[in-house]
Amino acid sequence: MTVAVNTTAIHLTGACGVEEVEMLLECLQKHPSLPVDLSGATAIHTALWQALMVFRPKLTEVPTSSLIGEKVILALSAYFRQNTEL
Amino acid sequence: MDELIEQFVIEARELVQQASDDLLSLEADPGNRERLESAFRAVHTLKGSVGLFDLGPMQGVLHHAEDLLSHARAGTIAVDTSLIDPLLAVVEWVDDSIDGIAQTGRLCETQERQAARLLGLVKADMTSRETDERPSSPTAIPDWASSLRQHLSPDDSHGTLVAFRYEPHPECFFNGDDPFATLTRLPDLRHMAISLKQPASSLQIFDPFRCNLIIEGISGGPLQHVEREFRLIPDQVELVVITGIVAQIDQRLAAADRQTTVMRVDPARIDALVEIAGELVTAKNGLIPLADEARGHDNAALARRIGASHQEIERLVASLYSAVTRARLIPLEQTFRRFPRLVRETSMKLAKAVDLIIEGETVEADREIVENLFEPLLHLIRNSLDHGVEADVERRQASKSTRGRILLSARQRGDRIEIEVADDGRGMDPMRIRTAAIDRGVVTEDQAALLSENEALQLVFAPGFSTASTISDLSGRGVGLDVVQRSIQRLGGTVEMNSSAGSGTSFMLKLPTSFSMSQLMVVEVGAERYGIPIADVIETQKLLGSAVQSVRAGQAFILRDRTIPLVHLADLLQVPRTAERLHADLKILIVRAAGDQIGIAVDVIAERAETLTRPLTGLLQGVPGIAGTTLLGDGRVLLVLNLEELIR
Repeated sequence: MTVAVNTTAIHLTGACGVEEVEMLLECLQKHPSLPVDLSGATAIHTALWQALMVFRPKLTEVPTSSLIGEKVILALSAYFRQNTEL
Repeated sequence: MDELIEQFVIEARELVQQASDDLLSLEADPGNRERLESAFRAVHTLKGSVGLFDLGPMQGVLHHAEDLLSHARAGTIAVDTSLIDPLLAVVEWVDDSIDGIAQTGRLCETQERQAARLLGLVKADMTSRETDERPSSPTAIPDWASSLRQHLSPDDSHGTLVAFRYEPHPECFFNGDDPFATLTRLPDLRHMAISLKQPASSLQIFDPFRCNLIIEGISGGPLQHVEREFRLIPDQVELVVITGIVAQIDQRLAAADRQTTVMRVDPARIDALVEIAGELVTAKNGLIPLADEARGHDNAALARRIGASHQEIERLVASLYSAVTRARLIPLEQTFRRFPRLVRETSMKLAKAVDLIIEGETVEADREIVENLFEPLLHLIRNSLDHGVEADVERRQASKSTRGRILLSARQRGDRIEIEVADDGRGMDPMRIRTAAIDRGVVTEDQAALLSENEALQLVFAPGFSTASTISDLSGRGVGLDVVQRSIQRLGGTVEMNSSAGSGTSFMLKLPTSFSMSQLMVVEVGAERYGIPIADVIETQKLLGSAVQSVRAGQAFILRDRTIPLVHLADLLQVPRTAERLHADLKILIVRAAGDQIGIAVDVIAERAETLTRPLTGLLQGVPGIAGTTLLGDGRVLLVLNLEELIR
């Protein structure tokens, strides 16, 4: 399981492919208040990023192993800042 | 009219004008980035406003026009006539529809029927062109790329940068695409911004398998490497090389700053101010009789004090007046800008290639003058197009460039403006004009023989004169140059024409910049009072009735060894002459009219007044011999005469 939930967070671990997006979506819908922990993820498919963009959970711990992750997180937080009034 | 519609009509007219200006200048200068942006903004805003009303297919048409422009902005289609023609057609269609919308609040049926054709035009353009042109043309830097550039720190912006805008296909996840993974392979990714194509409407209906992203970013290049990474999805990516665009951005920001310093004021409010200032002038004149009265009561001190405050008020009123008249000044551009499109359309209809060159459009004049110049200028320009500029073949035979040239230029000369309409066409032949004038009974053969070449040319201004052998759709509408002359005179101006056969014709209009305060001499004839501009009067004379000599049907008198014809103002105005005055002393104004001095007999020369003369409007507009009206200190209206017109 690359998408998992416990009491403190939704965790993404390992290589998260496009097929994980439904699982992530379900978690986000069920636990709207939980933050998402990305620290264990080695790769995150665009579809998952998009879901995070739409649901806007609090993101904790950026992925360490993926170069792109940092840029995406930066861009995501810029997007959230710009659209906070929405 | 509905207030919302009213606002829309005002705004739509401006936007249409803006778009049409921009498109025309793009046609001449396809690389002009600012014009392209401005055209896009105009069409975009117009589409937005149209959306507020039920205007049938108009919004759809504008939407496609906007699409075309945004593709041009992105550099994916070229800016050329095949882009501009359909867009201009759309703009013209909207322009034509505005009047109907103003009246009924909706698109009229004939306009609606044209919508399909226009839609075809703008759509055809889209599909046939979608994939030509490489996106990296150096002149086209789209907005998105420019704004990306601002995210880079100055240290980061050296060398060649490649901006990309990547809109993954909605179904791309099914094709195995992972857009962000693709981006990891880009060389030197310096900045990235992501956004949603359509804002997330509801979390319930969010489809996680449809890609709804727009990803923009900047790579440190080189371009070939960036292109290689995107080679499988060229249709989803725009690439722009953005070196050295900082100056452009600065320029655009500066332009935006400038725009905000202008305040839009309803002209009616300024008119109200002018009116009040004008009334103040008249009210101020009321102080003079008051001072006289005080003097009559032997109160010289009071009279002096009234006189002093009269002068003070006079100074203030004059500066108030000049300040409000300045507020009424608008650039001639407001009228000039309407011509490029008209010339373009008309020259196409006539199958003549004509360049319209506009100069001095920043020269300012009173709003009323600028607006009323449109008709006469339109007539002159149509004349040049129709009769002046020759057909292609004829021009080549005369070894002229095949493209005709019409110059519309303005300049300021002191408190007057000069506007020239000149063409490089076939010019006018004084002989032909003479013959035509005789044929049409404008002059007799004897009269014509006496005319100099220049005088013969001026016959074109005579009522009922037109040399065009066939009546054309354009200028042969029975409106002659005499109408042009009259409307310019009504604005207080003059028209002169110069022409040389073979090399062209030029009309010179000289006009005041505004309706300034003028000195009037008030005269009485019988029981009536009239104003005569003091500028027209050379001197005033008293004359014994016996000094008047009869010369054939008329009268004349001798002044300083010159014979001067005498006319009675009463006769000119067809007011009965008072009999008992017939043999008394005559009061004469010596005026200059048609280049000669003429004596005009009046009953009484009364006071002088400083007033604001405004041109006649409405029904009175066509009355010859009346220059305008003015209010006197006692509230009476005074007709101001145009002696030159009366005498003729």
